[in-house]
Amino acid sequence: MTRTNEELISQAKGQEAPLLPLLHQFHERDGYLSEEALRAISAGLRIPLADLFGTVTFYHHFAREPGGQAAARVCTGPVCKMHGADALLTSMPGATGMPCSGRCDEPIPVLRGNQTWVGLAADALERRDTPVPPAAPAGTTECVFAHIRDENRKSLSGYRRSGGYAALEKAVTSMTADELIAVVDASGLAGRGGAGFPTGRKLRAVQEAGGGPKTVVCNADEGEPGCFKDRALMDHDPHAVLEGMALACVATGAPRAFLYLRYEYPETDTLLARAISQAEEAGILGDDVFGSGRTIRIHLRRGAGAYICGEETSLLNSLEGKHPFPRNRPPYPVTHGYEDTPTAVNNVETLASLPPIVLHGADWYRSLGMGEHAGTKVISLSGDIARPGNYEVPLGLPLATLIDDWAGGPRNGNKIQAVTMAGLSGGFLAGDDMDVTLDEPSIRAKGSFLGAGGIMVFDETRDMVAVAHQAMEFFAHESCGKCFPCRIGTQRLTERLAGDAGPGELSSWLDEMADLNATMKATSACGLGMAAPLITESLVRYFPEEVRAHVSGS
Amino acid sequence: MSDKSGLTLFLDGEEVPFTRGESIFQVSERHEKEIPTLCYDDRLDAFGGCRLCVVELEGARNPVASCTTKAEAGMRVTTRSGKLEMHRRVLLELVVSENREVDVDELSGYASQEMATLVDRYEARTGRFEGRQSGASRPDDPNPFILRDYDNCISCYRCVRVCAEQEGDYAISIMGRGFDTQITTEFGGILKESACTFCGQCIQTCPTGALGDIKALRHKEIELPIEKTRSICIYCGVGCSVDIMTKGDKIVGILPAMDGPANEGALCVKGQFAFDFVHHPDRLKTPFVRDDQGELVPATWDDALDKAAAGLMAAVNEHGRHSLYAIASGRAPNEAGFMMQKLVRAGLGTSYIDNCSRA
Amino acid sequence: MSNPLRDMEKPDVIFCIGTNMTECHPVAATRLKKAIRNGAKMIVADPRHIGLSDMADINLQLRVGSDAALLLGMAHVIQREGLVDAGFIADRTAEAEAFLEHVKEFTPEWASEICGVDPALIEEAALLYGRAERGAIYYTLGITEHICGVDNVQSLCNLALMTGNIGREGTGINPMRGQNNIQGAGDVGAIPNNYPGFQPVTDPANQAKFAKAWGREVDLELGITKVRALEQAGDQIRAMLIDGENTLVTDPDRKHCEHALKSLDFLVVCDLFLTETAALADVVFPASGFGETDGTQTNTERRVQRLRKAVPPAGESKPDWWIVSQLAQRMGFKGFEYDSAKEVFNELCSLSGTYAGLNWDRIEFGEYQWPVPEDGHPGTPRLHEDSFINGRGIFKMIRYRDPAETIDDDYPVWLTTGRRLESYHSRTQTGRSSGIDYLLPEELLEVHPDDVSAWGIRDGGWVNMSSRRGSVRIRVKATKRSPRGTVFCSFSFNDVPVNVLTGSGYDPVTETAELKVCTVKIEVETETGGVAAD
Repeated sequence: MTRTNEELISQAKGQEAPLLPLLHQFHERDGYLSEEALRAISAGLRIPLADLFGTVTFYHHFAREPGGQAAARVCTGPVCKMHGADALLTSMPGATGMPCSGRCDEPIPVLRGNQTWVGLAADALERRDTPVPPAAPAGTTECVFAHIRDENRKSLSGYRRSGGYAALEKAVTSMTADELIAVVDASGLAGRGGAGFPTGRKLRAVQEAGGGPKTVVCNADEGEPGCFKDRALMDHDPHAVLEGMALACVATGAPRAFLYLRYEYPETDTLLARAISQAEEAGILGDDVFGSGRTIRIHLRRGAGAYICGEETSLLNSLEGKHPFPRNRPPYPVTHGYEDTPTAVNNVETLASLPPIVLHGADWYRSLGMGEHAGTKVISLSGDIARPGNYEVPLGLPLATLIDDWAGGPRNGNKIQAVTMAGLSGGFLAGDDMDVTLDEPSIRAKGSFLGAGGIMVFDETRDMVAVAHQAMEFFAHESCGKCFPCRIGTQRLTERLAGDAGPGELSSWLDEMADLNATMKATSACGLGMAAPLITESLVRYFPEEVRAHVSGS
Repeated sequence: MSDKSGLTLFLDGEEVPFTRGESIFQVSERHEKEIPTLCYDDRLDAFGGCRLCVVELEGARNPVASCTTKAEAGMRVTTRSGKLEMHRRVLLELVVSENREVDVDELSGYASQEMATLVDRYEARTGRFEGRQSGASRPDDPNPFILRDYDNCISCYRCVRVCAEQEGDYAISIMGRGFDTQITTEFGGILKESACTFCGQCIQTCPTGALGDIKALRHKEIELPIEKTRSICIYCGVGCSVDIMTKGDKIVGILPAMDGPANEGALCVKGQFAFDFVHHPDRLKTPFVRDDQGELVPATWDDALDKAAAGLMAAVNEHGRHSLYAIASGRAPNEAGFMMQKLVRAGLGTSYIDNCSRA
Repeated sequence: MSNPLRDMEKPDVIFCIGTNMTECHPVAATRLKKAIRNGAKMIVADPRHIGLSDMADINLQLRVGSDAALLLGMAHVIQREGLVDAGFIADRTAEAEAFLEHVKEFTPEWASEICGVDPALIEEAALLYGRAERGAIYYTLGITEHICGVDNVQSLCNLALMTGNIGREGTGINPMRGQNNIQGAGDVGAIPNNYPGFQPVTDPANQAKFAKAWGREVDLELGITKVRALEQAGDQIRAMLIDGENTLVTDPDRKHCEHALKSLDFLVVCDLFLTETAALADVVFPASGFGETDGTQTNTERRVQRLRKAVPPAGESKPDWWIVSQLAQRMGFKGFEYDSAKEVFNELCSLSGTYAGLNWDRIEFGEYQWPVPEDGHPGTPRLHEDSFINGRGIFKMIRYRDPAETIDDDYPVWLTTGRRLESYHSRTQTGRSSGIDYLLPEELLEVHPDDVSAWGIRDGGWVNMSSRRGSVRIRVKATKRSPRGTVFCSFSFNDVPVNVLTGSGYDPVTETAELKVCTVKIEVETETGGVAAD
């Protein structure tokens, strides 16, 4: 039965972080967000109408015309463009494009309402499960992927049969928060979402911060093009993510946690909601976790299409129903996060690493890496590669080993021209610079970074200026508009890579480019504006001839 | 070199005191460092959008925005360096590249010259970074007060923030994102149909003249310098300080006084825009007396004063000093009220005086 | 105001009653909005759903004229719940015991019967204000323009006294003065009871002081109020000198007022325009005004500030002080030779205790709030910090009284009046400034949509609205801003002279008119003609 405005609003009012769920409910009920809906929500939640309107327009997926919610959205991410996404989009009347939607190991995804379809042609779209990560080479020990290929792992009972929630039970019944944090600290685990901040230190900072209630946030707004690892984890091992969140709650003393999921994963949303309620029914989550009297409430919140919400402070603003600009730091979320409470924001993979670390110990986790490097990292490998997919590699593994030995080498036996790092945010590596090992020191030495672990492969047939243009178009599309260097810089870089504007003479073109890159990197307010120029910088560095040809118009 | 709290930092090599909670920008302002900025209005929360105020901080990888970075003891801050000046100039060149024009009339608003001044100071090259221009003006908004020339908007959001933080009206907000960001009301309508109260605060904080004072701009063509005279608004009892802008003998506009003790830069629609009455043709320009036909006709001051004195005294002489009553104004200056009560008291020895406070 | 405007950003609980601040004192309201943004809670008591109501945590939509009942109910709860500030009461007040006994009678249920507000809401509001760390009360003419205006104000004082919410930052009892210099008009002695600086005329010492200064003894008896003077026009009062007031339009009971002014032997008016009142005068003097004269004015927080001349005066117009001083001289009075506003102001300071430490040059930047009792005194932003001017704060045993008129079969609708953001008073100034008409082209009678249908009238249609004193023709606007059974309009538009309807009664102490309540009937306009005669 359709619920009335009043019913929806009065229910939302009692909730934490009510705006996004309420907007989604109206969006789905009406098929779009009408003026009347926004007026009702504005009055009900006491959000100024102009602010609410502005905030709604920030998100890519909120439709403001009837029928818009169900209209098809075709992924036009870099890998999907290789697969012919532009042609597919043109062939589907009424469809619009969307930035990389995190399925680079599949045919082109098309989102229709809350269903994801994949395929290469409009008449050959199908629904299918998220691919299971390809098997790791024999002798590899995995951490987060250890059980992911186990069919039963999705269900609560299956999860528990393979040791699931034992770490949480241990933590709430026989460990102090300090002991828990000490294990994490000793494991060397660092943020797997890209920033690489030591997880133990973050948890301790929140634990020690004054004020409360404390908050844990799982950042599942996996928006980086070429990254699709979190979806695999959540879809195939959802309870591992929830258990990781609960462990973070125990470590920090937080009674509540939010899982902020990107809009483009509707099936994951359903699956996680079910997993949460099963865990609550089983007394694993809720008001009496494993009979300890401890409360851990996990709230699932769905984004609405904004890459910047993967930036932790934008995410917090989004949760709070504010305009999702990044916040100024300091203060940092560990002291002033969600509603100004001490908040630990962690990536899905980071959190999913916690249960095995607690169960098997810090030394075990450290030993998973190669040489000096502690632990593992999931790499989302896609593009011109024989076996695209998610690979959990020991940190320190040579990139060449991953590409050639694990993933079957380049597609069609072509020569690899370049790879991206950190999705798009690390720019390109090419030529000899591809001779790196998969760990931050090695990759940073080349002016890039591993980040969230998305690697897209481009073989010799690809036009790298065009690839760079698509990448910059993405950053311009996702620039929030808060700071000048990013808002204007990504636009100007896009125009220059498209050949729409800019000096026609190479030295002036390069001069403008150098100034833009330097100023954006030095002065942008958040990582987006700092990362975008890595694309142009590396393009100019590795592909000077192509750039010269582009500028001279040949 | 320290105040009571003993906190100091190093500003361009010089140890200077600061108080807890101050930003690097505020400390630098006090020491006349003239750090450039376009998104800063000291009445608003620091925003950190324009990035012009970046400074170098020892130990930090990248320059930091001085407006949003709190001063801390022992910090070593560089406010000016070749690199910083290069970044600032590039940022100005970028922001100029998205606008239709840089030089706008000073009558546009209080802060309207800020961008043009910085462009001059940094000798920013207009024409660099050319490309698409941002912002769509709203010539469809027929309101008579606020020019919405978003072709000159630089998305500093001072208007949005002043409307929310200073005025508390939340009438405007930010639509879309990135380069396509646009200042908007709810659903993109005209201001009259929004929560806007036409206080004019957005005009006065706009650093580019994208928002302009339509009433003041009527007088753009008068080729006389703008003079400013500090006075007090004569509408309600709040007593907001204003600067009356004149060109020659004409009042051309009102600016809120940012240092006004009662209003600290705020005004309302009346104080900001309702000043035309001063030069209205209906103004009484001579005394009037009632003639033999019972008509009010113009008179000289001498005649009018004599006639008035005679008329009032006739009543007093015939019916006693308690037959004259004076009503003073709650709108006229203190000197007027003082003189009115002195007239009945010192003149007639009565307190037959009141003012409009009872109705 | 007991507290400075800046303090409006400091309370943790704000209680606004009878003040439509976002429209009438918009800049002051911005400070309250900041307090709310920083977490302050707000109670709004108003018959209408006003701008402040949108921001309030508790809305007390009371029947017009029932403020005293509501406030008694709140005092009852505060007493009952033990939220009184015993220390403050003991140290700084008098009659507390009797008062706390007195309020036991007035339960929220009793108050609810009268004011129509749910007793639970009265409880909630009382608890919120009673528990405030820094509770501040703001009011305007919605409290004072009643036959029980004094009772209302004293009821508010009782609340502040019993909770100790006065004399500290972010607290206080804060009337927002309506006109730009209504505070100054009282300060300078343009009132029948006080010399400049609130020195009572009834005190022989004051009489002697001013006799010495001015060379003439002033009566020890109080003068009469304007209300009384208008009543006696043509009788005892034979001549009037009116400066800058459009009495005819802004005073209640316009017919009575017009009759009064016409009964005078002689009327002199100074104004910027030929107002409806000036048109009745025998002599009209053209006054110069904003931007044309130097002078001083005193705002609602007792801040004395300088007005400055920016352009030459219109035509031959002159400053009010010059006109009155010239007139006085021609009337044969001594001591009216002045060359400048500065001289006048400095004389005022020399005679007024509250301004004693001020002079023309010292107020250059407007940083002083009176009292400034001597040279070098920093001024007094906050009153009553250590003690009350009269020693102790005295509780008053208030009882509720009905308005002068209550609805009946003949006049079944409550009318309340006020101002609107865009226009000021009778629009002599705002009405002559371009653009204002775009925002507010005409006056409309605000009627609840349910009443619009129940009364058989039409949104946008014309009605005749009549009281016992007269009738006006006005267009209807259906809006939930008006409660059922109560209608609202402003007195700004001369073509809707709403003050022909008002004037049902006066406060017995201050003789302030009950402009905020009268009873009317509303009938569909049948003729196309103008204002119907009653």
